[in-house]
This record gives sequence, structure tokens and C-alpha cells, in this order.
Amino acid sequence: MSVLTIVPKRRRRSIIARVGWPRFLQEIGMLAPAIVLMTIFLITPFLLSFWTAMTNQPLVPRPTPVRFVGFNNFLRILNDDLFWTSLWNVTRFTFWVLPVQCGFAFVTALILNQKMPFRNLFRGMFFLPAITSMVVVCVIWGTLFQYPTGPLNHIVVSLSGGHIQPIDWLGDPNWAMVSIVLLSAWQAYGFQMIIYLAGMQGIPDELYDAARIDGAGPWGRFWHVTMPGLRPTHVFVLVITTIQAFKLYTQIAILTQGGPNSSTETVVHYMVRAGFEEQKLGYASAVSVILFLIVLVIALVQRRLMRRFDV
Amino acid sequence: MSDLALSPKKPPVPMNGYRIVQSISVFVIALVVISPLFMLFIASLKDDRFQILADMGSFRAFWVDSPTFNNFREVGNFAGELAFGRYLGNSLLILGSTVSLGLVVNSMAGFILAWGSLPGRALILSVIIALYVIPQESIIMPLLIIVSRAGLSDTFTAQILPFVASPLYTFLFYQFFAQLPKELYEAASIDGASIFRTWWSIFIPLSLPALATVSILMGIETWNQYLWPILITQTDYARPISVAIATFFGQDSIFWDRAMAASVLMMIPILVFYLAFQRWFISSFVGSAVKG
Repeated sequence: MSVLTIVPKRRRRSIIARVGWPRFLQEIGMLAPAIVLMTIFLITPFLLSFWTAMTNQPLVPRPTPVRFVGFNNFLRILNDDLFWTSLWNVTRFTFWVLPVQCGFAFVTALILNQKMPFRNLFRGMFFLPAITSMVVVCVIWGTLFQYPTGPLNHIVVSLSGGHIQPIDWLGDPNWAMVSIVLLSAWQAYGFQMIIYLAGMQGIPDELYDAARIDGAGPWGRFWHVTMPGLRPTHVFVLVITTIQAFKLYTQIAILTQGGPNSSTETVVHYMVRAGFEEQKLGYASAVSVILFLIVLVIALVQRRLMRRFDV
Repeated sequence: MSDLALSPKKPPVPMNGYRIVQSISVFVIALVVISPLFMLFIASLKDDRFQILADMGSFRAFWVDSPTFNNFREVGNFAGELAFGRYLGNSLLILGSTVSLGLVVNSMAGFILAWGSLPGRALILSVIIALYVIPQESIIMPLLIIVSRAGLSDTFTAQILPFVASPLYTFLFYQFFAQLPKELYEAASIDGASIFRTWWSIFIPLSLPALATVSILMGIETWNQYLWPILITQTDYARPISVAIATFFGQDSIFWDRAMAASVLMMIPILVFYLAFQRWFISSFVGSAVKG
């Protein structure tokens, strides 16, 4: 160590001396478009949201100057019952959609992971809803949910032998969120299915062979080889699905507008209503800061969990 | 990232009674799961919107006696009230511009981050990775201020430019370029190729998997944009088809026949690409998940 400090430090040659001007300018020119665009359209609005959140900024410029209001917006949000309802609703949505969507994705992945003819065709079919736009999904499910004579009601009534009355899927406060869960899970499960399939195919065949030699049946191989091998995949899928769930918006805006009785109000829908319809951009920015903090916490928890599972 | 979808052909699985039963049952389950999509296509060929709803509860939902393209004729205008031809064109224009600009911008940046000699590349890369955690929804309100102050409300530019550069896609390109062999880069510099030439003539032709992945992910993301165009488009001029379809729901009585036809119009482009490049689609989605 001491020997090294005696030797005078040789100054690093500057980049221009090393590569010359033309190369330097070319590199800047190739990197700049991405950096400039991200600065304008991602970093600036992100930083601006913290500032706007502390002002009474309106959507359309007014003659009166924009005032700094400190944490007032945040205080008003935290005192608004509708905000807590929307937060509770997305939490509820998350807890329902996680088992339905990931469960269905996991089961289809297990089925498709077996050796069978036409496997690629089936995988393509199961993945089809995932490439369908949410707007189109809303048109389709809007008809499926028709009350009282839509297809889903038809199935429910005939399966129960007439014991269950037709359900007003989107109009009944007790059912509206359930309906949104069904539709959302159907649209998005393909993504989780593909992630699970990739995880299952990443488990080496030798482990299954070894388990077979040790006398493990299909059930034993599932519990002692497949499930432990999928632990990082489970964590990843759960976190991705949770973040998606907290951003729930499109299907709500199209099908229920947060109703009936605010039973499907969500954080993003609440934000858009405040900012766009009521024109209170400052207030809406404060909601978006809260949304960012929620997503950040989930992402940090994921990183923690992934590290624990040594991924 | 591509071993799932692009693995070399395995020998065919031998057929026996069990395999046949297994395949048929998986096929039936898959059909049931995607049956709502069949319903959409069948219903779009039915002329009477009350008949569509009446048929929904039975197997008639999967059958059409006298198919007609009337609904498509009604909504396929380029001006006026049901200008879905125009909305579809708008969406395709936004899609094409965003993806092509995005491929150039993000791949150039990813290349410089991987092989350039600028100081501070590692720092820029970690900032880009950190930016990935910011959800679009949480910057959309300030973005609305910036874009409307810039006088870009109700333009195509407002729907294209903000989404061209993206942390995720720059990172995916960086990751792809960084794992290509060093010899490629050295051979090009010895031959005196400029860094731009090296990117364009040596690395880009080798990066078909990365180009396909980013095009597909970016394409789906752009095609499905809904919140941003609702905030930024006020007239038909630049309105994309997703926003236009959603307006069917604002009416007292929904014209399901037209909504179905418009939805089919919106599905067709993506479906054509999907049928042509199915394996690429699926491996792209796996690729997007590689990073945690």
C-alpha cells in the first residue's frame, strides 16, 4: 500500500486525447437523443410532480398566480374518505386477483409443460388474451356481464338449477369488483403463464431423474423439485402482478367509472378525476407522488426477497 | 431469454391413446378460455344489436346465419361520426413512428453504454435502471402540463415523442449488445470503422432477437395506450382507436354491433402480427421479465 502511494499518480488522459474529436462527438450524438428525451419526458415530470404536489396548480392557466401550499394537498388527500376507499379497493383487488390470475397461470403452465403433441399451438391459444387490448376486453366482457340475460348469468342460473338469481355483475356494489377481477385475470394471465413456463423449463431434467431414482412419484416430484425450483419465479410473478394491480385504471374508467357507490374507485382513477375533470393538477400530482411511493416500496420488497432467494 | 420459444425442434412426441386424450382435453380447455374472442368475431358479423345480446346466452353466440359486413361498413368511415377508419389509421401511424424511432434511439444509446468510451457510462446506466421503477401513471399529470405548455395538445407528436426513449428498452439493447463478443468490436475498429458504422453495419444486423423483442413489447404497449391519449386528444384529428372504442360506453344504450366491429378492427393488426411471429411474441414477453 505504502509503496503504491510513493509512485506519482499518472494523470488519466482525457477521452478526447484517447479517441479524438470525431469519435467523441459521434458517441455524444448517439447517446444524446435517448438522454434528452428521457430528461424531458421522464425525469422532468417526475421531479416536477414533487413540486406541483405542493402547489395549487390548475390544469388551465389562471390569471391568479400559482401558490405554494406546502403539504396541504397531502393532508387533504389523507383526510378524504374517497382516497382511503380507493386505496382499500386496489388492495382488495390485489388480494383477489393474485390467487385467481397467478393460480390460473400456474395451472395452465403446468399443463403446457407436459410433453404433448401440438404444445406450441396450445401455448399460442392460451396466450391470445394477453395480446388483446383492454379496451377490446371491456367490449367483450361488457356483453358477457349483461344483466339479467347475459351469458355469465345464463351459466350461473342454469348451473345452480335456478337457485341463484341473475347477478347484476357491474351494477351491484358487492359484485362490481369481483367482475373486474375476473375480466382482468382473463386478460393478463398469459403473461404470468409464460413466466412460469420459462421457470419450469429452467429446472434441469437431471433433478427430476434423480427424484425418480429416489422413488418420488409425480406428486413428490412436484413438491420437492418443481415447487422449490420455482421459488424465484413465484416472487417475481407476485410482485409484478401486485404492481400492475395497484395501477388498475382502464377497465374501471370504461366499465364502472369507479361506481357503483365507489365500490370500484381506484387510486389512478381518483387521480385522473382530480387532475383532469376537477382540473386540480396540484392535488392530482400529490396523489401521483403517493402512488409512486407505493410502487417503490413494492419494488424494494421484491429486491429484498429476490436477494434472500439468491437470484 | 429465447431458449423457451426458439429451442431447436425436438423429436415429435410419440402418439398413443393417452397422448390423444390429453391433447384433445387441453385443446377443449383452450377453446373455452378463448371462446369470448370467438364470440367477438362472430358478433361483429351480425347486423342486429338486440339479436347479438339475445344470442349471447346460447350456442347461437358462436353461429351466424347470414354473415354481413354492414357493421364494418357503418364504422369504417374516414370522417364524420363513426370514423374508425381514421382512428385505426391514427393508431397505426402512432405505432409505426414510436416503434421505428424507439428502435433507433434506444439501440444507439444501449450500444454506446455497452461499447462506447464516454466517461460516466456506468453512472448513466444505473440512473436508467433506477428510472425504470417510475410508473407512467405517476408522472402523467406533470407530463400533461409540460406537453400542453409546449403547445402539443391534440397532436401526434404528443403521443409519439414522450414514449420513444425508454429505460427498459435501452437496457434490453445494452444487455444484448454487451454479451456480443469483444472481437466483433475490435475487428471493426482495426478496419477503421467509425463507432456509428460499427453500430449500424456490424451490431444491428446481428441483433434481430433484440430488435424483435423491443418492437413487439413497444408495439403492444403503444397499441394499448389509453390513459394518455384520453388526456391529450380532444378532437378526431389524432385520436387513436382505443379511445374511440371507449366512447361507445358513454352512451345510454350501447351499440354493441358497432362496438364489436370496431374492436375487431383494433384486433386485426395485432392478430396478424401474432399469427406470423407467435414464437417471437412469447419469447419477447419472457425477455421483458429477465431483469428483476
